[in-house]
Amino acid sequence: MCDDCGCAAPGPKVVEVNQSLLAANDALAAKNRTHIEALGAVAINMISSPGSGKTTLLEKTIERLKGELRIGVIEGDIETERDADRIRAKGVPVVQLTTGGACHLDAALTHRGLHALEDQLVDKKLDLLFIENVGNLVCPATFDLGEHQRVVLVSVPEGPDKPAKYPKAFVSSQLFIISKTDLLPYFDFSPAAAAKEALQLNPRLAVMELSAATGEGLDGWLDYLRSLCR
Amino acid sequence: MHELSLVQGLLRQLADLAGKHGATSVSRVKVEIGPLSGIVVDSFCFGFEVLAVEDELTQRAILEIVVPPLQYQCCHCGSSCPATTTMPDSCPRCGTTLLVPAGGDGIVLLQVEME
Ligand SMILES: Nc1nc2c(ncn2[C@@H]2O[C@H](COP(=O)(O)OP(=O)(O)OP(=O)(O)O)[C@@H](O)[C@H]2O)c(=O)[nH]1
Ligand SMILES: [Zn+2]
Ligand SMILES: [Zn+2]
Ligand SMILES: [Zn+2]
Repeated sequence: MCDDCGCAAPGPKVVEVNQSLLAANDALAAKNRTHIEALGAVAINMISSPGSGKTTLLEKTIERLKGELRIGVIEGDIETERDADRIRAKGVPVVQLTTGGACHLDAALTHRGLHALEDQLVDKKLDLLFIENVGNLVCPATFDLGEHQRVVLVSVPEGPDKPAKYPKAFVSSQLFIISKTDLLPYFDFSPAAAAKEALQLNPRLAVMELSAATGEGLDGWLDYLRSLCR
Repeated sequence: MHELSLVQGLLRQLADLAGKHGATSVSRVKVEIGPLSGIVVDSFCFGFEVLAVEDELTQRAILEIVVPPLQYQCCHCGSSCPATTTMPDSCPRCGTTLLVPAGGDGIVLLQVEME
């Protein structure tokens, strides 16, 4: 029984709740953010369809920035440790989260990942924390993990119509990366058209084109990361 | 199917509410799903259908979904366009084409009827 709704009276009672179904996730995400900031890090949540090149971009990024910035990675996948193994081979602390079927990471799972990652850090300090979300352009966009920046990737072979089809990922991101630009000659993909569609949904979105394979456009991405750490 | 995990959260929330109000049965649940929430309404309803019957508290509950129309805001003059289902081509006040969705991404438990 409570005092505020007259629920001692018999019969059905109507309770106005007006609470987000994501309230619990968002509260935990806020905690994660504090946690990440205590490590001194900026966290980046990377969202894309499966195979857009998130892990490859991280591998190249680590190769280039390893001596300059302290990097940690949380890998989200439905199953397997493969992505984490690839990152570990680059010599930075990494934690693999497997969702056991779920199509996205949530704040609770990320929280566990943060603790596991912290255990690997000798001095408990990081500059950049990458969170590679489960390959999926829909579900991850709904869940705040406690990141500071959200990056959405679309690779050239996927086609340029993704922003219109999956608006939430673009509305909630700060940066849109068009990846695998080395394949542009072989696909009917206009980066300008894709950028325009994305900017219509979110005019504040930064847009970058790059190829992790050739390294073209990578400098802009690395500068972007450096500027976040400053 | 992140809809399923959201339904699980909803059912936990209903159990909390019922406990707090001394109710033993939930008869009606009203949830708002924003058009930009990334939630598929049918999947959400299906998840509710499947999971709600597993608990005596919610097995007779009727789920009502409200999808609010989307509102757009002009980046130039700040005025809001009337809610529509498709994005207007330009701002009705200043004619600029830089419009952004204002909200519309919420998933909110609005109201619960229980006894
Ligand atoms: N041509 C080309 N291929 C690339 C590029 N980046 C990645 N690939 C290839 O694309 C495939 C998928 O790359 P990943 O980096 O594993 O993609 P991912 O987004 O991490 O994939 P998931 O974790 O499964 O979602 C691999 O075969 C890569 O070699 C690129 O810039 N150009
Ligand atoms: Zn990957
Ligand atoms: Zn899903
Ligand atoms: Zn205007």
